[in-house]
Amino acid sequence: MIRFIDERWADILFRSYQHGSLVIQSLILATLIGVGIAVLVTTYRGLSPAANAISAVGLTIPSFALLGLLLPFTGIGVVPSVIAVTFYAVLPILRNAVVGLQSVDGGIIESARGQGMNAMTIFWRVRLPLAWPVIMTGIRVSAQMSMGVAAIAAYVLGPGLGPYIFTGLSTVGGANALNYAVVGTVGIIVVALLLDALLVLFARLTTSKGIRA
Amino acid sequence: MGRLAAADREDRLLLIGLPILIGVVLIGWIIWRAVADLDDIEARLLTPASVLELTWQHLVIVAVCTVIVVGTAVPMGILLTRGPTRKLSPPIMGLANAGQAAPVIGVIVLLALLLGFGFWVAVLSLTIYAFLPVLANTITGLKGVDRSLVEAARGMGMSDMQVLFRIELPMAVPVILTGVRTALVLLAGAGAFAAFIDAGGLGELIQTGIVMFRYSVLVSGAILVALLALAVEWVGRLVEVYTKPKGLS
Repeated sequence: MIRFIDERWADILFRSYQHGSLVIQSLILATLIGVGIAVLVTTYRGLSPAANAISAVGLTIPSFALLGLLLPFTGIGVVPSVIAVTFYAVLPILRNAVVGLQSVDGGIIESARGQGMNAMTIFWRVRLPLAWPVIMTGIRVSAQMSMGVAAIAAYVLGPGLGPYIFTGLSTVGGANALNYAVVGTVGIIVVALLLDALLVLFARLTTSKGIRA
Repeated sequence: MGRLAAADREDRLLLIGLPILIGVVLIGWIIWRAVADLDDIEARLLTPASVLELTWQHLVIVAVCTVIVVGTAVPMGILLTRGPTRKLSPPIMGLANAGQAAPVIGVIVLLALLLGFGFWVAVLSLTIYAFLPVLANTITGLKGVDRSLVEAARGMGMSDMQVLFRIELPMAVPVILTGVRTALVLLAGAGAFAAFIDAGGLGELIQTGIVMFRYSVLVSGAILVALLALAVEWVGRLVEVYTKPKGLS
């Protein structure tokens, strides 16, 4: 085991980086999409049960099935991986962004308007900062989930640590099969925990000082 | 209908919309299957008998896991919220949260390499995977019961057992059931991975479709797995709405 890791140290590190980077890029994309839809939904309030229902349905669709549905359109490789990871990452962020934006006290928005702020300024200076901690919680949930989706995406030749798991599976009985599977699985857990720690730090730094707990 | 009217709008949308969605897609797939021009391999993989067989295998895996998970996680959650074991609940919850970072496909492959391929190893790994949401929600649900209600019940002379079964559990049922539904949906989806370790199920269609470059088989598998998961979600929501104790709303 130690020899196995020692021999492939550079490859393992590179794959961990790839795995993390796939998840982080998809998370950024998902945050933009999720918050964007949430803004729409909170502006036209009637839409919000529909948005919640759609995100519940979306979370129900198994990731392996979604990858299967994407393949005929995207072919194998990185593209279906990014689409699948982003798809799942949007859902918790959307849900939390809707809750966060809706729970901003109407009185605060009223007084912001009274100070002469327009809708844009109110969104950037008042609503988004107040909703941000809740949105960040959604992003953390998404990050955890995305790690697993990214691992499954390896089956369609996605990048990252996932291929190690599948190499372990396909070389069953071979000397290194277990090593591959262990390094792949534990590697993903380590990357996930590291990313979560980073996100906690990021949430602290980006949360407005006035509402920091 | 009274229950349905009392449910919130999200639940109502899903309870009515999901069966329509499932029905339309399923009928669409059946029509496609009847008229599509399939080659030999595709036709052999997609005979009604083999699709039904795979669906049945999939359902059996999900059902067995569900019984084991509910039978172990709920009692464990109850134990962890009372008596001397209460102190263990924060570390166990912490461990459970960290464990959620483990990708399910990794767990399945690892256990299969260690214990061998087949049905029971698939059941074991999926059970581990689905255990956490049910345990977490049982503990959260029981802890969420207002302490003054428990005090009041004690004051009326109820024993610990009576308090548990007549006050705490009924109050916690909605939260516990949400955990069970989450777990079931996860199971229905993750059941597709059972095919990787020769345990059958609808995942076999997806896998064979990818390996043999037969998109029709792959997409059929994907659609059927997704429909199964959606059906499970629908049943779960229905049970939730109808088992909610009448006094709670």
